[in-house]
Amino acid sequence: MKTKNVSTTEEKTAALPLAGVRIVDFTWIGAGSFTTKLLADFGADVIKIESQERLDTLRDAAPFKDGIRGVNRSGYFADRNTSKRSITVNMKDPKGQDLVRRLIRKSDVIANNFTPGTMEKFGLGYDAVKDIRPDIVYLSMSMQGSAGPEYKYLGYGMTIGALTGFQYLCGAPDREPAGTGTNYPDHVPNPCHGAFAVLAALRHRRRTGEGQYIDMAQTEPTIALLGPAVLEWTANRRVTQRRANQHLPSSPHGVYPCKGTDRWIAIAVTCDAAWDSLVTVIGRPEWALDPALSSATVRFERAAEIDRQLSGSTAAFDAEQLMEMLQAQGVAAGVVRDVAGVVNLDPQLHHRGHWLTMNHAEMGPSVYNAPAFRMSDVAAGPRSPAPLLGEHNTLVLSEILGMTGDEVEALERAGVLR
Amino acid sequence: MKKENDQLNPSASAFASKAGDRAPSSESGLMTRPSALTGIRVLDLTSSSTQYCAKLFVDLGADVTLVEPPGGSHARRVGPFLNEVPHAEGSLSFAYHNAGKKSVVLDLQTSEAREVFRQLVKEVDLVIESTKPGTMEKWGLGFEALRAINPDIVLTSITPFGQTGPYAHYESEDIVALALGGLLYLGGYPDAAPTAAWGEQAHLAAAQFAAVASMMALLQAEDDRGGCHVDVSTQEAVVLALENAVQFFDLEGTVRKRHAGMQRQAGMGVFPCSDGQVYFMAGGVASNKFWTGSVQWLIDEGAPGAAQLNEPRWLDAKFLATPEAKRIFASVFEPFALRKTKAQLYAEGQARRLPICPVSTPADLLDNRQLAWRGYFVPMLHTWSGRTLLIPGAPYQLSASPWKQAGPSPRVGEHTAQVLSQIGITDKALEALLHEGAIQ
Repeated sequence: MKTKNVSTTEEKTAALPLAGVRIVDFTWIGAGSFTTKLLADFGADVIKIESQERLDTLRDAAPFKDGIRGVNRSGYFADRNTSKRSITVNMKDPKGQDLVRRLIRKSDVIANNFTPGTMEKFGLGYDAVKDIRPDIVYLSMSMQGSAGPEYKYLGYGMTIGALTGFQYLCGAPDREPAGTGTNYPDHVPNPCHGAFAVLAALRHRRRTGEGQYIDMAQTEPTIALLGPAVLEWTANRRVTQRRANQHLPSSPHGVYPCKGTDRWIAIAVTCDAAWDSLVTVIGRPEWALDPALSSATVRFERAAEIDRQLSGSTAAFDAEQLMEMLQAQGVAAGVVRDVAGVVNLDPQLHHRGHWLTMNHAEMGPSVYNAPAFRMSDVAAGPRSPAPLLGEHNTLVLSEILGMTGDEVEALERAGVLR
Repeated sequence: MKKENDQLNPSASAFASKAGDRAPSSESGLMTRPSALTGIRVLDLTSSSTQYCAKLFVDLGADVTLVEPPGGSHARRVGPFLNEVPHAEGSLSFAYHNAGKKSVVLDLQTSEAREVFRQLVKEVDLVIESTKPGTMEKWGLGFEALRAINPDIVLTSITPFGQTGPYAHYESEDIVALALGGLLYLGGYPDAAPTAAWGEQAHLAAAQFAAVASMMALLQAEDDRGGCHVDVSTQEAVVLALENAVQFFDLEGTVRKRHAGMQRQAGMGVFPCSDGQVYFMAGGVASNKFWTGSVQWLIDEGAPGAAQLNEPRWLDAKFLATPEAKRIFASVFEPFALRKTKAQLYAEGQARRLPICPVSTPADLLDNRQLAWRGYFVPMLHTWSGRTLLIPGAPYQLSASPWKQAGPSPRVGEHTAQVLSQIGITDKALEALLHEGAIQ
């Protein structure tokens, strides 16, 4: 049985880009788990080190399958932990720490997003890990970095969004800063930058034999995405202000109401031909026939008036139909889809096979995201649903450390694996 | 117990150190640290979707060349502008995203320039482009054509919706991708139209996933497993930012809405203070781990009405979700917060181990002592003006192969002659190409 499982794993990963990379994964919650998931989905053997005593809080976060709380029932956890294996190790027990050290010896990468100092408490700071495995790639993604005057400050995805300036910049100029309504840094900036840094370090190791320590503060990738706002201050001493949906020097550019409750369409007109097409599609209302509006500069100067008038015109249309009519005439337009629309109505995501259904051992068939990219000749995306807590204790310890089932059971009974 | 195989991760053959590739220590020297991506050569057909992707490569030591149309990339026309004067040489956005890259101008509408491009492809590892699906094929520069020239080439195509499908030929701008990807719906105030994330975040999200995918493809190619076409969808990149909205819909049938301008639950959200706003999570994320400490802070500071927040009902999540709880919390916290600056509230709250932080403005970032301590902001020379400007620096600190601030952004076609000479194009041929308008 064991042999069969092992060979299946190898067959599935043989052609994947990261086949052969093993990651000892201490990441948890949002940003960290998504970072290692990106690597797991493309062939890395990611071994999530968990514990009954100190659960990944995402395992206990809604939504739950059938609304029933349980460590193996969180949809949020499941989506962030595909293709990984889970073992439960009591890191307070020296025998547990020893097991992890032996796994590290057989691994290429170790990752965590704890507050600085936590890994040291486990005896797994960078220097200690380097002694076990000299060429290890060690990713630390704490909130504010590994040292400095405020490195131990508390925070979460929402406070990172605020602290980095991102929250301040999103929303209406005359209202409270709105942000994106989500913990945005957790979902794109930090996972992508963390994964990129690990991949670059793996290349460096392949060429030089040298491992390294990657210190990624979870504030810093998000600020890197706000470069123009930083420069507007450092170069011009001007503080960039919120501007609702007027993001380009062109008009109309924004979000307009459609038929129904809370239905909207985004429209971006960036050339005169698109303006002419828009006017035709919405039925040539009188306000739009003002010849002065044929000029892009006039439109931009009168953007507020156009937004008001256009909102009156679009409100008579069904959002989906209006998008199709506008796109048929070459006008950039998109329905402001709510999550039901994104999952059920979008033919493009359907065509891409974005929504995967995987059969989770406890949750049954459930929806998972595919990645944002496809690679030719490479099977895309998640290979298996999220692991149950401790699902792979026996498999991982036998396959990698050569332990027998009896030995693993003994460790479970002794509370080392829990 | 069986004896452990003493070999280090024996399965990792492809990723194990290759002694033969190791740089001789005498050559690498002790003074300069090597870069992780040294030797990787990249062509960036630059746009607002590609430029951040290629920036991640150049900042870790790759050799990146912009391929621009005559007159320069449209990315040079994107604000904000130096001294607030709109000018193609003054785009701060372009300067930031393209620092350290070279620039070659090729008019890919001409067959001569396309031939030059094919010659360049022989010499590079990665091409990043964002033309409409079918454009590269029309030019004879599709993936199969490029792979015929260079079997190890990685072609990364970043488009709004991907290479094929019913929307593949739809027109798009950043706000359209945010809309169809579902993130726009979650942003903004319940009583108004949804508001989009600031700063081309859909394009940037696609660029970030593109960088991860390109790096994986390059690792494969360098392992003699051949080239690859990476097909990135901006819409899908946005969908990945929906947090738990998809799972709430799938498992519980609920549709997540936008909620800016109000507390998410009592004690959690944006609150005004004397010089702006702070973000406070008085209870923590889902539990009420910090509630008692937060209330004690208010009591110690003499905030009127603070004592009532110690009543047992404040530990009940259902009560915290009510408008009454939010109103009462605001009536206690806001008068207190309005007496203090964001910096004071941040320092005092964090000293009590409470999750509070400023809603920073871009100017505040330059005063942030943690970022300053880490040396986060670094100088960049802006050649055209001669000014040195501070920009965000390393998004990650790599101990052995560090992030490096590369040189300034290039002028249009600054490196055309140099780069083309390097691939063996003679001076006479250069002159002819320039005369025809194929290069600049």
